[in-house]
Amino acid sequence: MHKTIFIAQEGPANALALNKDCSRVVIAGRNVFKIFVIEEDEFVEFCNLRVGKNLNLNFSCNDVAWNSIEDHILATAATNGAVVVWNLNRPSRSKQEHVFIEHNRTVNKVSFNPVESSWLISGSQDGTMRTFDLRTKTATNVFHSNTESVRDVQFNPNSHALFASVSENGNVQTWDMRKPDKCVLQFTAHSGPIFACDWHPESLWLATASRDKTIKVWDMSSSKPTMEQTINTIASVGRVKWRPQHKYHIASVALVVDCSVNVWDIRRPYIPYVAFTNHKDVATGIAWRGDPNVCLTTSRDCTLYQHVFKDATYPAAQVNPHALALSPQGHIAFACKVAPTAVKGSKIQGILRRTTTSSEEFWQVSSTLNFLECSRNKDMNWLIQFAERYILTGKPLVEICDHNSAVALSLGRFAVGMMWSMIKTLYAQDEDEGLNLSFPPIEEPIQPRMEETRLTKSSLKENGKSRSVESNSTDNKYRRKSNADELEDSVGDFFFGDAEMDPLSMEFEINHLDGLITQDWTLQPEAFQLRQEIQDRSSPPEQFHDHDSPDGMEEEVSRINEKWKGLSVAEPLVPKMWDEKYSVVSALKQHGTNGDVQTAVCILIALPPARRQALLNLIDLYDQEVWLLAYISLLNQHQLFTHANEIIKLAWIPEVNQLNQQSTTVNISCNQCSKVIPQGTRLCGNCSASVTCSVCHQVVDGAYVWCQGCMHGGHLKHMQTWLSKNTLCPAGCGHACEYT
Amino acid sequence: MFKLHYWVSSCAIPGQLELKFYSTMFISHSVSTDHKDLIHDVAFDHYGKRMATCSSDQFIKVWEMDSENVIDGGWKLSATWKAHSGSVWKVTWAHPEFGQVLASCSFDRTAAVWEEIVSEPNIYAQTGQKHWAKRTTLVDSRTSVMDIKFAPKSMGLLLATCSADGIIRIYEAPDVMNLAQWTLQQEVPCKYQASCISWNPSYTRERRCVKKAFTKIPNSDKKEADERSEFDGSEENPMKFPFHVDKGDKYIVIPEVPMLAVGSDENSSTANSSRVVILHYSSYVRRWHKLDSVPSVADPVHDITFAPRLGRSYDILAVATKDIKLFTICQLIGTTGSSRFEVTPFATLEDHNSTVWRVSWNSVGNVLASSGDDGCVRIWRLNKQTSWKCVGTIKGDGRRLILPEVINGGMALAKH
Repeated sequence: MHKTIFIAQEGPANALALNKDCSRVVIAGRNVFKIFVIEEDEFVEFCNLRVGKNLNLNFSCNDVAWNSIEDHILATAATNGAVVVWNLNRPSRSKQEHVFIEHNRTVNKVSFNPVESSWLISGSQDGTMRTFDLRTKTATNVFHSNTESVRDVQFNPNSHALFASVSENGNVQTWDMRKPDKCVLQFTAHSGPIFACDWHPESLWLATASRDKTIKVWDMSSSKPTMEQTINTIASVGRVKWRPQHKYHIASVALVVDCSVNVWDIRRPYIPYVAFTNHKDVATGIAWRGDPNVCLTTSRDCTLYQHVFKDATYPAAQVNPHALALSPQGHIAFACKVAPTAVKGSKIQGILRRTTTSSEEFWQVSSTLNFLECSRNKDMNWLIQFAERYILTGKPLVEICDHNSAVALSLGRFAVGMMWSMIKTLYAQDEDEGLNLSFPPIEEPIQPRMEETRLTKSSLKENGKSRSVESNSTDNKYRRKSNADELEDSVGDFFFGDAEMDPLSMEFEINHLDGLITQDWTLQPEAFQLRQEIQDRSSPPEQFHDHDSPDGMEEEVSRINEKWKGLSVAEPLVPKMWDEKYSVVSALKQHGTNGDVQTAVCILIALPPARRQALLNLIDLYDQEVWLLAYISLLNQHQLFTHANEIIKLAWIPEVNQLNQQSTTVNISCNQCSKVIPQGTRLCGNCSASVTCSVCHQVVDGAYVWCQGCMHGGHLKHMQTWLSKNTLCPAGCGHACEYT
Repeated sequence: MFKLHYWVSSCAIPGQLELKFYSTMFISHSVSTDHKDLIHDVAFDHYGKRMATCSSDQFIKVWEMDSENVIDGGWKLSATWKAHSGSVWKVTWAHPEFGQVLASCSFDRTAAVWEEIVSEPNIYAQTGQKHWAKRTTLVDSRTSVMDIKFAPKSMGLLLATCSADGIIRIYEAPDVMNLAQWTLQQEVPCKYQASCISWNPSYTRERRCVKKAFTKIPNSDKKEADERSEFDGSEENPMKFPFHVDKGDKYIVIPEVPMLAVGSDENSSTANSSRVVILHYSSYVRRWHKLDSVPSVADPVHDITFAPRLGRSYDILAVATKDIKLFTICQLIGTTGSSRFEVTPFATLEDHNSTVWRVSWNSVGNVLASSGDDGCVRIWRLNKQTSWKCVGTIKGDGRRLILPEVINGGMALAKH
């Protein structure tokens, strides 16, 4: 089996050629001209042709060709315009047989005719091609391409009298050796210089390689060549060579940038089927070693490599075959590779595993894009509904809370509704001490929660009989559902236990206790939920330690402890003994951390400033800012710009308030004298005219829309109706107004 | 021509202990993209109203939501153009504040910035197609550019790219109105070939802290001597910030620390360190540095994404490798303004049982979607801030959606 082998030389080679049976390889460059025997695991130098006392420019080769029949005959294209023939059978050290000096400039290419082994052709920078007969050692014909330079000439393997030439102006010509006066056909194949071409060994296809980074495959079977395929590569293509025994495979090397040797399947012209990435610099020549799995290349990095397929990289197997994205609305776009078997409707699992080495699977690849429309996205719906329906300011807190709580409940978010109710319960008396609160049924759950938590405190059992009856049921439920940790949760219970002294809840108990018991059946599901909710909010002690300064915490606890002692001495009920701040703050933090910045921000905004400040002192300033900014960006993302602006206006952090003051200034021009109307006024400073509607000629107070082209405008409605029928400006200025 | 498929998933309402099951319905529409080769990336714009796809066929296509269009799931092709001379790996949208701007990266070793032209309606009016102009080509990479991402809006107009040779490049457009001028801010070489990159979310440039909020950084496993040197702000410690105290001596203002997470799909068995590298920006020396502590991921990484951070004080990083790994990254700020990062493994989600190719977060950061070689898209939801639950599975070869097992699973759960 063949192996990947290489040998380094003193100079870079420009070309290489294999002998008839592919056992030897010749490399030729400016400073190197050697023949190697290809052994199993190394190249062995067979002969150095760059010998002799007169190493002139005849030894400096652009190209080399090995005679396909006479195994001892070689030809090189020299940079000085000479075509040199070498005979390995010469007894002397110098193997130089004959030098044809016919071309005026560098010779780019030499080729032997595959059938008539004595026929040699050369293509030169002087724009001509010449044929030579080695038997007579004469130049037989000249072919004038009428272009600046010929970069490649290749005999057609199917009809040996025909050859193709490519030139730097992007033209391809085909010639008949017997008709040197005129080419058989000519066409422009590329927009830039063509550097190489190669006839397909079986079909009548010609591949051309160009500086325009493409390889094109032409069907030459008719008199009008048609383009079969274009392969887009990442760099100028220097050489191309069809892979033997594989109809659709072609190897290419780049002239610049790309050091790898790529083998393409022309049916998938975007990703190389195989890449050999051994070279450190760009490769200069390719030859297939008969065996389609072995190819040899020379490179500017001075190495000669034999590449084998088993060591190659398969770029297509490494690419990411999936694409996935989630939209703000919760929709999913998902694209993935589908196997050729799936395309044909086979039952086999559709997704192709990473075994894409078979060339059949390689080119029959495609992706499908699926859009998964999320039709009932609750999170999204909540955000938008809340943003649109919440009242945040301009009304008494009680009303705001009631409204917002109702909004939350109507959308099925009990936790959030609960939160608003709690805020109301806690803070409503700020605004109206004497308010006779009428609790809507939705708020009743708050009561059992408080009672129940209180009743877990054994020290406070002096409560009414009826209450303990009621508590038994709830307490059982509670114990059944909660785990031990939560019951032992001292901090939360401590505060809520204290809440008993809240005058509001006391009042509630007295007034509504009967109702509560009778309504037990309706309450059950909600009551449980809400209790959990509060537990959840207030319980985790870590949260307190995380966010509050430990000192302040201890202070607070000791303070409350003192009051607690006082309580037991039957101190009269004092309002606001329970410091609710910690519970509310941890509830807000809970929402914020869960991604529900909306609730946190809206509650803080709705609170009266003094109350809010008390809470904010317990929240990291950075967190507050991030909540606000995150909520604003969420609203913007859902294109709720007015609501976002409202939040910016109502925000309590001055840095956030400034956000909407950094936007663009819009200047309005007077539509009579075209002078700019100063900000904040509707009167033109120049002619004292006011901004009037071009349609109804009334002063515009409100939305004014104008054309940026002629600066005329008016009432939005009027302009819309006008432009639905007309295209010209209503002011009569003749401008074809454009509103985008 | 579209088929309806119903997929029911069960999700817990966040913040509630009791698991409530509700159904989310996904309707699958197949979008005929007419891409000639593999689609490597799809990206929604900021509002979710436009979608960009890119493919190995070297084209980028932009789609617009058109609710009247019942074909292709309501997506209408708005623009299509040949963007590169090699496979286009990734495409990403800039924040709309900077205009309708896309960036793409390709196998052809370049990255490009594109802007939609709106002022020439007449030229493209007949086809209804929009024209996107190339504003710049970033040609610094010598190998394939594997990923490209715009920085969060608050940082300005910044781009990060990563290349197959492991070099991460950060570009900045000093003038946001001039998309043609980008300066290469820094090149950070990494050990392995890079495959994916992600910015951490940030909403502000500066972090204002109440003075007393500063805590002493707890001792790490370092020796005490090291600890002391960490605080003296010497040359080796670039993470000490010059911070200024706000008026009234009330706040301390320290710069927000942007981070970049880079994943590598290096497959060689000789590579033995983590395939994830995290860079952080030190505004003191204006350089990007590699973070010492990295999430330990030993397998090739195909995708990496920071979660949006709504109200959370730490970042969550999702890594797609042979499974999905989640890490939390917490920044601790010390009394002197120095800071340290703590990277903690958070969760490993193994349901795919195969290579995971992509991970994507919702805009709130509590739902993660992933796609793997098992041919499934899985949807994960954070439950009680601690555990992640797979709440939905969409199976299919992209043509056919098979009803997921989750329906039965969900119902069974609900019965208990």
